[in-house]
Amino acid sequence: MSVMTDPGVSHTSILTPPSEFDLPPLTLGQRFIASILRNWQIYLMLAPMVIYFLIFAYRPMLGLTIAFKDFSLFKGIWGSPWVGLEHFRTLFEDPYFWRAVKNTVIISGLSLIFAFPAPIILALMFNELRHQGFKRMAQTIAYLPHFISIVIVAGIVVNFFAPSGIVNLILMKLGAEDPTYFLTKPEWFRPIFIGSNIWKEAGFESIIYLAAIAGVSPSLYESAKVDGATRFQMMYLITLPCILPTILIMLIIRIGNLLEVSFEYVILLYQPATYETADVITTWIYRQGLQNNNYDVATAAGVFNAVVAFTLVITANRLSRRLSKTSLW
Amino acid sequence: MTLKTLLMGAVASAALLTPGSYGPAKAEPIVSEPLELDVFMHFRDKYGWNTDWPVAQKVAEATGITLNGTAPVGAGDSRELFNLMIASGDIPDIVGGEFSGAGVKEAFDQYGMEGAFLPLNDLIAEHAPDIQKVLDENPTIRAAISAPDGNIYYIPYLPDGDVGRVWFVRQDWLDALGLEQPRTVDELYDVLVAFRDKDPNGNGQADEVPYFNRHAEEAIRLVNLWGARSTGSDSYHQFYIEDGKVVHPYAHENFKVGISNVAAWYQEGLIDKEIFTRKSRARDELLGGNMGGVTHDWVASTAAYNDKLAAEIDGFSFLPMAPPADINGKVWEEHGRINVKPSGWAIGYSNEHPEETIKFFNFYFTEEGQRIANFGVEGLTYYMVDGNPVFKDSVLNGDGSVVAQLWEIGAQIPIGFPQDYEYERQWTNDLALKGIEMYTEGGYVVEQFPGIAMNAEEKAIYDKSWPNILSFMQESYEKWILGAADVEAEWSDYQAQLERLGYSDVLAALQTAYERQYGGSN
Repeated sequence: MSVMTDPGVSHTSILTPPSEFDLPPLTLGQRFIASILRNWQIYLMLAPMVIYFLIFAYRPMLGLTIAFKDFSLFKGIWGSPWVGLEHFRTLFEDPYFWRAVKNTVIISGLSLIFAFPAPIILALMFNELRHQGFKRMAQTIAYLPHFISIVIVAGIVVNFFAPSGIVNLILMKLGAEDPTYFLTKPEWFRPIFIGSNIWKEAGFESIIYLAAIAGVSPSLYESAKVDGATRFQMMYLITLPCILPTILIMLIIRIGNLLEVSFEYVILLYQPATYETADVITTWIYRQGLQNNNYDVATAAGVFNAVVAFTLVITANRLSRRLSKTSLW
Repeated sequence: MTLKTLLMGAVASAALLTPGSYGPAKAEPIVSEPLELDVFMHFRDKYGWNTDWPVAQKVAEATGITLNGTAPVGAGDSRELFNLMIASGDIPDIVGGEFSGAGVKEAFDQYGMEGAFLPLNDLIAEHAPDIQKVLDENPTIRAAISAPDGNIYYIPYLPDGDVGRVWFVRQDWLDALGLEQPRTVDELYDVLVAFRDKDPNGNGQADEVPYFNRHAEEAIRLVNLWGARSTGSDSYHQFYIEDGKVVHPYAHENFKVGISNVAAWYQEGLIDKEIFTRKSRARDELLGGNMGGVTHDWVASTAAYNDKLAAEIDGFSFLPMAPPADINGKVWEEHGRINVKPSGWAIGYSNEHPEETIKFFNFYFTEEGQRIANFGVEGLTYYMVDGNPVFKDSVLNGDGSVVAQLWEIGAQIPIGFPQDYEYERQWTNDLALKGIEMYTEGGYVVEQFPGIAMNAEEKAIYDKSWPNILSFMQESYEKWILGAADVEAEWSDYQAQLERLGYSDVLAALQTAYERQYGGSN
């Protein structure tokens, strides 16, 4: 560890002990207070965010106690009687809850495999375009679907995949015998759901990778060119490694949201006939809990969701730190 | 002059004209000193109680009691607003409302038993003779609005009229093919096949959709033709009572026969292939595209397509028809209007004027109150003709539907009042009225079951199992219809799975609740 001689720069890290060797050693608490006093402007700037999280993220966590209560809106959180782990027992004994968990993991897993790389590939492709006018236009067109309301997207998908829709028209022209009613077939739900999600979001998500690519030093490409590298080699050996930290951070965030499958979109696309593959935790909670004001069971499922997501993020972060020295914290 | 002053003027002049023009003399004000009460009332995700409503002002004038709304007057999520109000613990003097499609009886019962609302039984008996009279004359209504503890916590909205959805057929197609209106299930089958194969719209393409509907549940309702039920009341998936026992239609033995035949019809292309995803577009698309042949839908709005499409489709004639007789030869209609809604209003526990409030509720059951709640304000929306209220032409031909115009001024809203079908008859077209007459005279509509109030233990059993059971039922029948699974082969597994999911426990809980609630009324 480097020895800092100028106490003024010690605030670059709270963890780095100040090096005031000539003073008697301070206790941890005293050092903490001294550090705050010395850097109070920075703490002042931090305060709004801390207060924001305390009020809007931490205080509502008290509401998680609902999961352990027989909750009534009128009696309130404190007035409702405790029921211990009753609601969790209900959840874990329920075969359809496990089916929903399974579906959630499968849809998220497939999204990770197919939808996560899509914006990266798209960004790399945009980056290789040489004609600036065409590049701008292609990017704008690719961003557009992101701004369409999910309800409209679902309407488009339902129309396209209906027996009389355009997809079936094309298939019939190509020689299919009968039109397929895609949205009532469990085996088609995942491809349609993930595919349309890629169409909607890949363009917009590619922005962050394009920004990362823009940050790569041009001198790397210039020297590669001097060495006679092909464009493909430059992409593979320069661009990709340079944006790898960004990719990993995005991956960790994504893994944290593994159990969050877009609830509105599923509700809009699924049918009882496709529950088998389409029913995810959030839609199950909606039918089981919220439609009947059973907030307690819904909260229990939410707690389960949060615990799993938390574990996943920690694991992913640790793996990433060990393998690539990139991590969220 | 602002709109508000205009309306106030209309109210004032109407008030001057009213006395003696209708029935008994004007009711005496309930209070000698003007009284103001708070009311929470939000419905249809769109309207909140508005003190400026001409109807609200008219009522305030007649009773001396002014209600101040605490819910936002504009659009919002009615259910969420209601729950927020309950969760705040600050219950206004009066609480009413309706969530999108669903009533609030369950909330009135549950929170009423927890102390949020006052029990009204004694108040009604002592201070509300007109409400008391309705309850005495209709024991089923009394039973239907009672909570599991025997108390009444809300004054209900009582719709009028029986006929809701009826069968419709393209009469011009029948004529073109030389067919009669089908009177039995077999004749209906032949008609649907003819519609499918014989190109009744004459465009040379097999694009006809013999049976279509805006709701996939109406395809399930076709099991009626094989003598099975699909629901017990005016909404889908409800329990019904058979010989004093609570049963669910989808678990009934005769549902198997019905649904396997419906599945066969679907496979044969007699039912819209896209019925599961076409949804609310179905009527506009298929009638407008000259492709739909038969449907089962709300009588007034469906009959209106005859006017809408007369200019576009030559000879378009979509007529109401009697329900085809089922395989047992019985002619019946499962869907009707329920005569007591699970919505209305209740008195909050901290209300300091319960007597005045119940008298205020009672006002809506008097002749004058009923007329205001049904027709709006005299001079503004209606005139008296021969002692009867008649809507003004400007309302009948105004922007938007009559009922939407009435909501805008605070009439026909889901508070506790008896609806008068006359209000609707005046703007229903002749075809629809004929259909209604046919169904009423035939006595086709079966009695609609108003539902069961469960106590805390029963509700816990129901809440734990029922959502899963219903999901499983829907999943199963959709697969049968789509041909992904076979009814015959799966029926015993289906029954066994229902059992595993706790169907018997739910039935037992409902049976206990049903006997407690309706035991005295039959």
